[in-house]
Amino acid sequence: MADAVRTESLTKYYGPVVALEALNLTVAHGEVYGFLGPNGAGKTTTIRILLDLVRATSGSARVDGLDCRAASVEVRRRIGYLPAEMPLYREMTGAAYLRFLAALESRPVDESYRRKLFARFDVSDVDLRRRLDHLSHGMKRKFGIIQALMGRPPLLILDEPTSGLDPLMIEAFAETVHELKTEGRTTIFLSSHVLSEVERLCDRVGIIRRGRLVRQTSIADLRRETPRRLRVFFDEPAPPPPSSLSTAVRRSDPRHWELEWLGPLGGVLDALQGLPVSDIEIEPFKLEDYVLKIYSGTPGAGA
Amino acid sequence: MFAALVGRSLARHRALIAALAALLSAFQILDIVVAYNLQKNVAYSQFADMVPAFIQEAMGGALVASFLGAVAVGFVHPLVMLSLSCGAIYLATEPAGEVEEGLVDLVVARPVPRHLIVSRSLVVYVTGTLAVVAAMFATSRATVLWLTPDQAHVVSAPRLAWLAFNLLAVVWSLGAAGLAFASQVRERSRAAGTLALVAVFLYLLQFGAAAWQPLRPFARVSPFHYYPTMQTLMGQVTPTTQIAGLLTATLMLLGAAYVLYARRDL
Repeated sequence: MADAVRTESLTKYYGPVVALEALNLTVAHGEVYGFLGPNGAGKTTTIRILLDLVRATSGSARVDGLDCRAASVEVRRRIGYLPAEMPLYREMTGAAYLRFLAALESRPVDESYRRKLFARFDVSDVDLRRRLDHLSHGMKRKFGIIQALMGRPPLLILDEPTSGLDPLMIEAFAETVHELKTEGRTTIFLSSHVLSEVERLCDRVGIIRRGRLVRQTSIADLRRETPRRLRVFFDEPAPPPPSSLSTAVRRSDPRHWELEWLGPLGGVLDALQGLPVSDIEIEPFKLEDYVLKIYSGTPGAGA
Repeated sequence: MFAALVGRSLARHRALIAALAALLSAFQILDIVVAYNLQKNVAYSQFADMVPAFIQEAMGGALVASFLGAVAVGFVHPLVMLSLSCGAIYLATEPAGEVEEGLVDLVVARPVPRHLIVSRSLVVYVTGTLAVVAAMFATSRATVLWLTPDQAHVVSAPRLAWLAFNLLAVVWSLGAAGLAFASQVRERSRAAGTLALVAVFLYLLQFGAAAWQPLRPFARVSPFHYYPTMQTLMGQVTPTTQIAGLLTATLMLLGAAYVLYARRDL
């Protein structure tokens, strides 16, 4: 079975500006894929090539094995898209807006599912009757999410989906993603700057910088590969670190050590046996730390 | 899908279409009321003395200073022709506006074939201008029937219809040029503004050619050159050749619009 999304040597130049350079990425069916990168890295260009809104200079992009250029309409039939900057017909009401967009879908929109989304994202009948230009940013965003989801497409492309949403609605969005993931029929391609959200929702991530894919891996692999940070506190002045920890200790003072440790923590605990340890703090894995290193081009961070 | 696109576009532009229809229809009434009063007061000879010869020539000859000619002014006055042309150009440049406002990310990201966007704008500018000219025609006809003085020549409905259709053909060719340009650029103001200036220039070229012989060969590039108003009203010409030429140019420009829009980055 073909990948849900596959790009091969995808390259896009805007005149002399390189937007994408030989991008190779794959997204499997049913996967939640986090597409990360700093501003201007080429995330939106990639998404717009998948939607055939812009044309690649060279290389190919495929959705379900279909070429995004040659089978453009068939590809877009399978995609629900939420742009980062939500375009609106300001003079329309929310209900008319969704009705218009539903008329452009190739399959009928399931009214009961749409009602469910209204309830989940707290969109009332009053909100539906209001003009879009009278709505708050968060409410407009909710309409954006609903229009992308309402056709129940097999592939969802969501660009900054939770930007402007309050914590309750972010939770509602996460619940929706989990539900779709459990059903297993929907692939989600999610671009976000909220790394905690990506870490929580995504199975795999692709990290792009200056138009090149720097890393593509699963969150589980990243956890395994990323050193854990530990702080060890002592009741009495700490002895010199044992040889098994000497390369791991990054900072030490008489009362505490700071360590970075790769792999199972048993080795650290073994080495600490017999020492006057009063407490150990283990920082949870943070995708943010890893990604920020890549964004800033730190050597050894996958770049 | 196509009906939804057309409906949305017409809804967005209904105020412009209604305003143009109302203003240009009001212009017909005003024009015929003035013509009626000139005829009633036997003042056409004085009026002809006031209008310079080259302007009379540009507007169709001495006939302009008659009731029949004054009725035609409602379809040949620069205000009428240029406002209708600019209206058509604005309606036709919606594709550039959609790129500028990011609405393509909403509409073309759905399974909407690109050619439907061009076809939608074609239908909207053609029906929009058709509605305006139909309103002008109906108003002119009704006012003429109501106010024609006893001794005056009455414009026949088929002659007025030919005039209206010829005007539409001029306007459609400019609209097609607007659509072709909007299929390439990213800002509607740039597309509509440039084409509006081109329309004014082409009008002035034709107007100038009537007064100044050396300009005449160049006037052939102006669509206004193919709008023989007074000859049509007099029954001397049935402008089928002119209309066919304008429609051919329109079709060629529309072809360019489809190709350019299909190939562009949105």
